[in-house]
Amino acid sequence: MSLVTTLAVRGLTLFGVLMAVLLLVVIALGATGFSDRMLHATINEELRGLRQSLAQTIRDPDQLEQALSLQREELVRYYHLDKPWYFRLPDMVRRVLTFDLGEARTLRSFEGSSRVSDIVRERLLNTVLLVTTASIITAILGLLIGPKLASQAGSRLDRTACLFLAFSYALPAWWMGIFLILAFSFKFNLFPTGGMYSLPPPPGGIDRLFDLLWHAALPIITLVLVSFGSWTYIVRTMVLNTAQESFVSVARAKGLPEQLIRRRYIIRVAAPPIVTNLMLGLAGSIGGAILTETVFNWPGMGRLYYDAVLAADESVIVALTFIFTLIYIIARFILEILYVILDPRIRYA
Amino acid sequence: MRPWETIKLLLASATGKVGIGLFLALVIVSIYVVISYPLDFGTRTWNNPAVWADNPKNVPPAWSNAFTDVKRVEHTTFRATKPTEVIPAQGINTWRYTFALDYQFDEPPTFTSFALRNVIYYSRPPVITLSLSRPDGKEMLLYRHVVRGPDPGESLPVSRYVEAPLRVYLSGDNTVLWNVADFVRQEFKLDTPLSELRGMVDRVMFGIPVEENGQDFKVLNGNYTIIATAQVYHPEDSIGEVSFVLGGSVYGVMGTDSLGRDLATGLVFGCPVALLIGLVTAVLTTTIGAFMGILSGYKGGRTDTAIQRFCDILANIPLLPILIFLIFIFGQKLRLVILVLVAFGWPGMTILIRSMVLQYRSSQLVEATRALGASPWRIMFRHIFFQIAPFVLAQMIFFTPAAILAEAGLSFLGLGDPSIPTWGQILEHGFRTGAVYAGYWWWVLPPGLLIVLAATTFVLLTLGMEPVVNPRLRQ
Repeated sequence: MSLVTTLAVRGLTLFGVLMAVLLLVVIALGATGFSDRMLHATINEELRGLRQSLAQTIRDPDQLEQALSLQREELVRYYHLDKPWYFRLPDMVRRVLTFDLGEARTLRSFEGSSRVSDIVRERLLNTVLLVTTASIITAILGLLIGPKLASQAGSRLDRTACLFLAFSYALPAWWMGIFLILAFSFKFNLFPTGGMYSLPPPPGGIDRLFDLLWHAALPIITLVLVSFGSWTYIVRTMVLNTAQESFVSVARAKGLPEQLIRRRYIIRVAAPPIVTNLMLGLAGSIGGAILTETVFNWPGMGRLYYDAVLAADESVIVALTFIFTLIYIIARFILEILYVILDPRIRYA
Repeated sequence: MRPWETIKLLLASATGKVGIGLFLALVIVSIYVVISYPLDFGTRTWNNPAVWADNPKNVPPAWSNAFTDVKRVEHTTFRATKPTEVIPAQGINTWRYTFALDYQFDEPPTFTSFALRNVIYYSRPPVITLSLSRPDGKEMLLYRHVVRGPDPGESLPVSRYVEAPLRVYLSGDNTVLWNVADFVRQEFKLDTPLSELRGMVDRVMFGIPVEENGQDFKVLNGNYTIIATAQVYHPEDSIGEVSFVLGGSVYGVMGTDSLGRDLATGLVFGCPVALLIGLVTAVLTTTIGAFMGILSGYKGGRTDTAIQRFCDILANIPLLPILIFLIFIFGQKLRLVILVLVAFGWPGMTILIRSMVLQYRSSQLVEATRALGASPWRIMFRHIFFQIAPFVLAQMIFFTPAAILAEAGLSFLGLGDPSIPTWGQILEHGFRTGAVYAGYWWWVLPPGLLIVLAATTFVLLTLGMEPVVNPRLRQ
């Protein structure tokens, strides 16, 4: 029972986060008149299509204009543009929730569609691919190195490592990316400066995969380098705190093998707080991904953010803000479940 | 704990020492900027192309010459507002402006130009002559100019070149070309056609023929003097500024960007801005966070639940996407960035501080104070607050780099405040115009390094604060 309650409370909080972001976005758009402009743009787009098809049947220009203005009034009423913005709130929330995000002003998907949902869908997978790979590598490295540092806490190695880890906290992802481009693309010519595939991309199969890996190497290294420091430091500290508990001393006094103590008495116990910290760091890695993609021209949603800001394409920015929040919440919920699995106190309470 | 004890503990560790040292350096640079830069530096100087018109574009810093085989010309601007020497004569005064130049480069300058500002005359228009004295003892007349006389109906005194200075691009000016041709004919006995001399003016000015009767010139190193003389006819006449630009391909301490802006000035200006963003955000966040955290932890009950639920939601919103969205919608203003950072930053602080307060709420100290009849507010902000003050301070320092990095990231996405140049914006401009792909390292590496340095300063301070917060770590 308690397990369900815990998950339900966390789930509700996360749903609250989503709703808060949604409301913030919708109210900000409405109050500043942005939503009016976006809807008018949509109407104009629809009317342009209509004009072309009507022009073939209605020859008289006056009649055509009249038909179009009737249609415009119809559309204005349909989108509730005749009422103040706060009456449109529920409708807007519904539209965002169903990914009915309208047309982008200038940005196009790779296939040429101007629908925001098409543009975003194409890029979603690229972002997830990049971030997941980097996160897994970071997590493994942290779990390998952190306990090792903790077992030698206070040694010269540990102190140097801690200083380096602290330094990496201060390292912005995008600058690290630029540095790597200057070093490995220009100086040594080892990796491409950006993009996801070579031009032209190699035909399918193993070549294509290697080409992808070759392009993904620098962005992934960047993401790992900037997040790995604080992550390892957290693991080290958590493990160190647990290692000083008295039940660990008891286990040692019993003469249990060090391997077993580390695995079952230290890391297992330290696991839930480590996951908690992983959750707290998640928002930061999303930010890092946005900037890293921008630097490496990786065709994901982060790069799309940059392009949308440059092109002042508000519907794309709204969509991305919402989808990034959504991704964050899904990832958070997966971690919450992991936390519940790892922490027996919740299960047996 | 008293403040000086905190500082003593901080200074005891190596990280604390380095942190305090870096912090003091940042503060000193910031004070220098506040004193010597105009407040509207961003709009008046940095984003004003006229200021940087004479500068070379995309050139590395001067010290990069140490790493190259060819010593490139260092871009130099000579300015004088007062004559070096006044030669009085009957009715005509001669003012001499001299600029000494020790030319030790392997290349001719990329261009040379001469400018005159704010000339006021009371009788006859002054005559300006520009010449160059060379290390081989030859003197070269470059340019002669008579300031335009009074227009019909214009009354004396007449002022000229007030709004737009007289700017002569010596490398491409026809009169200069003829003067140079005369010089070549007389001094080197060469009869180079004008069409060939065109484009070689700077090469001739700072060079000698490679061989007798050759048409090719090589650089002549040594001491040059640029001499501008003005003949003025009235004691009250004045000349605002005389300047000579030696166009180079390396510039100053930090080089220039694609608009010719001196990157060093922008980088220095970024220092107080970064400190301001970091410290203002951190102080506001911690103040609100500590207040709400103490309230939430001490009051308990429904207040606690309400505050904690609210904080849970706010603290879990991913910052960068919402920051991008809000700044995009409400406009690119620095104070808005700070406001958003505070609005989404304090809940995290509240959650942390509440957990600290919970430990002290049931302590004997608090119980005793309550028994003495202290009001809840007095307990909260006289007793509990001072118990957790070092922790709050450490959190505040820890939060500072986060704000600096967030602003830099936002600027890097092109959403910086255009009226206030920051390190992130300098980097963004470099990135957008392709400086990264052209390998202009002096443009993209230093701003990033400075951001890292500023952030590291506060991280080191946080590390140094650990023994202050956690007495068990004290030796």
